[in-house]
Amino acid sequence: MKKKLIILIAIGFLCISLGLTQVQKPSDLKFPLLKYDPPNPKDFRTEFANDVRGYIQEDHSLPLFNISAIIDFGGLYVPKDKQGLDSVISATLIDGGTKTKEGTVIKERIEFLGGSLGFRTGERTSTLSLSVLSKDLDEGLDLFFDVLMNPEFREAPLNLAKVQLIQRLRQINDRPSGVLSREYERVLYGDHPLTWQPNKTTYESINRADLKAIHTQYFFPKNIILAASGDFDKSELKAKINRSIAGWKNKKVSIPSFSKKFPQPEPGVYFIQQRISQGYVSLGHLGIEDINPDYFAVQVMNFILGGGSFTSRITMKVRSDEGLAYNTGSRFRYRWGYPGTFSGYVQTKSSTVGYAILLIMNELDRIRKEPVSDAEMETAVNYYLESFSNTFESPQATMSTFADLEMTGKPMDYYKTYRDKIRAVTKATVQKVANKYIHPDKTVIMIVGDFEPCNKGGDKWPGPLDNLGKIHRVKLKDPMTGEELK
Amino acid sequence: MKRTLILLFTLLTFASLIVAAEIELGVKEHVLSNGLKILMIQKSGVPRVVCHIYYKVGSINERPGITGLAHLHEHMMFKGTEMMGVTDFEKDDAINKKIDELVDKIYREKFWKASGGDEEKIAPWQKEYDELVKAEKQYIIKDDLWTLYMKNGGTGLNASTGNETTGYYVTLPSNKVELQMLLESDRMLNAYFREFYSEKDVVMEERRLSENRPGFLFNEQVSAAFYAASPYQWSVLGWMDDLRKVTKADLIHFHNRYYVPNNAVAIYVGDLDPQNIIQMAEKYFGRVPKGPDVEPIRTYEPPQYSEKRVYGEGPAPTSLQMMFHTPQQGHPDVFPLSVLADVLGSGGGGGRGRFRGGGGGGTGRLYKILVQEKQMAVSVSARSRSQWYVGAFQFNATPRFDKNIQPEDLEKEIWAEIEKIEQEGVTPEEIQKAKNRFEAMFIRSLASTMSLARRVGGAELNQGWRSILTDLDDMKKVTNDDIKRVTAKYFVKDNSLTAIYRRKRGR
Repeated sequence: MKKKLIILIAIGFLCISLGLTQVQKPSDLKFPLLKYDPPNPKDFRTEFANDVRGYIQEDHSLPLFNISAIIDFGGLYVPKDKQGLDSVISATLIDGGTKTKEGTVIKERIEFLGGSLGFRTGERTSTLSLSVLSKDLDEGLDLFFDVLMNPEFREAPLNLAKVQLIQRLRQINDRPSGVLSREYERVLYGDHPLTWQPNKTTYESINRADLKAIHTQYFFPKNIILAASGDFDKSELKAKINRSIAGWKNKKVSIPSFSKKFPQPEPGVYFIQQRISQGYVSLGHLGIEDINPDYFAVQVMNFILGGGSFTSRITMKVRSDEGLAYNTGSRFRYRWGYPGTFSGYVQTKSSTVGYAILLIMNELDRIRKEPVSDAEMETAVNYYLESFSNTFESPQATMSTFADLEMTGKPMDYYKTYRDKIRAVTKATVQKVANKYIHPDKTVIMIVGDFEPCNKGGDKWPGPLDNLGKIHRVKLKDPMTGEELK
Repeated sequence: MKRTLILLFTLLTFASLIVAAEIELGVKEHVLSNGLKILMIQKSGVPRVVCHIYYKVGSINERPGITGLAHLHEHMMFKGTEMMGVTDFEKDDAINKKIDELVDKIYREKFWKASGGDEEKIAPWQKEYDELVKAEKQYIIKDDLWTLYMKNGGTGLNASTGNETTGYYVTLPSNKVELQMLLESDRMLNAYFREFYSEKDVVMEERRLSENRPGFLFNEQVSAAFYAASPYQWSVLGWMDDLRKVTKADLIHFHNRYYVPNNAVAIYVGDLDPQNIIQMAEKYFGRVPKGPDVEPIRTYEPPQYSEKRVYGEGPAPTSLQMMFHTPQQGHPDVFPLSVLADVLGSGGGGGRGRFRGGGGGGTGRLYKILVQEKQMAVSVSARSRSQWYVGAFQFNATPRFDKNIQPEDLEKEIWAEIEKIEQEGVTPEEIQKAKNRFEAMFIRSLASTMSLARRVGGAELNQGWRSILTDLDDMKKVTNDDIKRVTAKYFVKDNSLTAIYRRKRGR
């Protein structure tokens, strides 16, 4: 019997091994075809009472319920003398309680249910998110809409939030990466609502009336899009949500808009002194909006330049070839309604800061002057095509993605046409957009580091830093007063 | 024949249907004859498969002299094989051997002599080294494996090294899992470590990045002081001296010892056919020979017998840390300690991962007392962290600057609360809340294919993946008496380290 089983297993494995062709190298692999059509936002779009819009997907794989409300409100809409109000509202929308419940009662209950309820504010959108077990859907939903519609911003949690935020302010010049990203934007956008920062005075000035006013101005049905997924019946959920928001009044949507004209900073080196062992570097200029028709070509171009991690030119040169850095590459950052930024970046020991900058600048130059190779194009285009389905891996993330499309006014067939637009990118368009959107002659090189060793350089680039352009010494502001530090 | 084959799969594959909270994990497992375990979880949704491979090796398998090697080795696993990353293996190999011989001479001169060696001797060797490195470049295909994965739609592409395990990750379209099987089995079998010395520079830059983060250097000293003997005392990044001096021979020895199929688990989660996965695994991973058994680490942390205190200052916020030695995973005291951490510190985003009760905010007892009622702190957290060979219970608190509260004031308050719990325990509502949270967090963690792979794969290497479910059951059995007992047992001065850090700019 035992011998029979052994023979059977041996035959079995023989069959198994014959079932696949022996492959020696990756190029021999032949993959079966895989067709994938992205979900259509229209199939999930739901209209609720009072013109609340939403995207809902039933997902019965786990007994969970997730819902988010995306609100057209963010830090950008906060006046200069009330900077930090977005952080305060983020900390108090839940903690400050509602008309009928203290914040601690709401939080205690959510935690007892093993759920989570969170609110965070971004530059132009804010999100209230709830996740509970589906058996607790009704109770969770009640708390969710109570917080969204009826926050009270009670004094004690408000005062505590202000103390915590002011104490955190003391640290904001300590992390070199945080200093770099903040000051880089300050140079590129100048004095603009996009770069305003809170200080102790602005935080202290924020009161309950300010929070109430923000809530009244932005938190109403037409200014909100919902995203929900989980173990529920869609029509039942719709009815429940409609009951919750029945009395919610609309207002006229009034979103502030700001100038899109930004000063042209003088190219050169902008140095911020910190006594650390590395230089943290960002170099570049303003970028584009993601509704620009060239967006897809820019994505492919930047993948090849420095966005495609180890497959990209900057990473290969600065990290793999030279061993100069752990983090290096290039990125286009996008923001809703305003141009984003373009930057090449690296963090490297002080003596190789200048050399690493030179290598990155060479790559900016090269991608403008020479066409990229067929192999580079193939890798970049295939990456976007083959990884496309990953966007829709989580039902809740998919619903939020669709809500975001609608919020930012992008076309609803954005994902349906996405792959065709990537396929349409050619070597010629890559070079064209490199020339159009990368400008080495206008580059701001910002360094946070220790000046003397950075300026001295090393064997391969002996300095001084003014070989890279005129040096501007940037003084940080005292986070408590907003005044320049001496 | 087909029926025989199906029967065979039923015999070879154990499909587990353990249910917790009416949840079916649906793990199917298959063990290759070389000892490699294959785990599979089918999840409907997008046509993609999370493909992870975990090795039972991390920084605890290092020793003084080679600290940081597990992590450096993880970097080196991307440097190619005999097949990948090279155009002419023989020629590349010849240059590499010369480079290694030369660097061996340089290291002996530089690192074996107290004076730091004779610069004049080193200079020509260094020049020759530079020339050889330059000559080798013509044969190297940079980041070949990474490019191939990306070209084929690989996402979540990464690797990570922890104290106990090292993982290699990629998520691929469901028709391309075979690529991962080929590449991962190839690097398990044929890893070839080119560009070793420039990659050491990259890892040293990674360490410098951490050093420049406020508080990192102090916390590194705190860990080193907390563990007297256990290899958890050094960070995964390792000490800079060891990174400088570690050799290619150290690396090869480490690889051969730990990167064997019987010391690993491969896990696949997503839109997959288990029979197909098993067929491919047999074909690709099946060709890797079994290695010698790997002995578990020997040195557990001995009893401390004395209180430890560490003081420091620098650019991070003023803070208090109180740490207590607790047992390793699998010990029954881990469960009441996790519940206790959640009661004291719930709501601050802690509690993710396994046995990591606690957090730092929201509705935890300490937050209510120290932040809201007494207004002495801006934040406070409690966390219980049990690892494979050691455990730690840790309090962290940041005092209120505007009220001139000192870390020592918070220390007294935390001790007072500990003594209270030792006497009275906690309330039934607090215990129930913690249990509810563990269960809900468990269910939530199953929603992401990536976190499911991490959780199941990581658990498999220590106590087996089923322990995820049995732990949840054990957590549900915790009583107030258990909590009082573990509080009295572990929260004693001779088992503690208190770290006090004061903010001072300008260093």
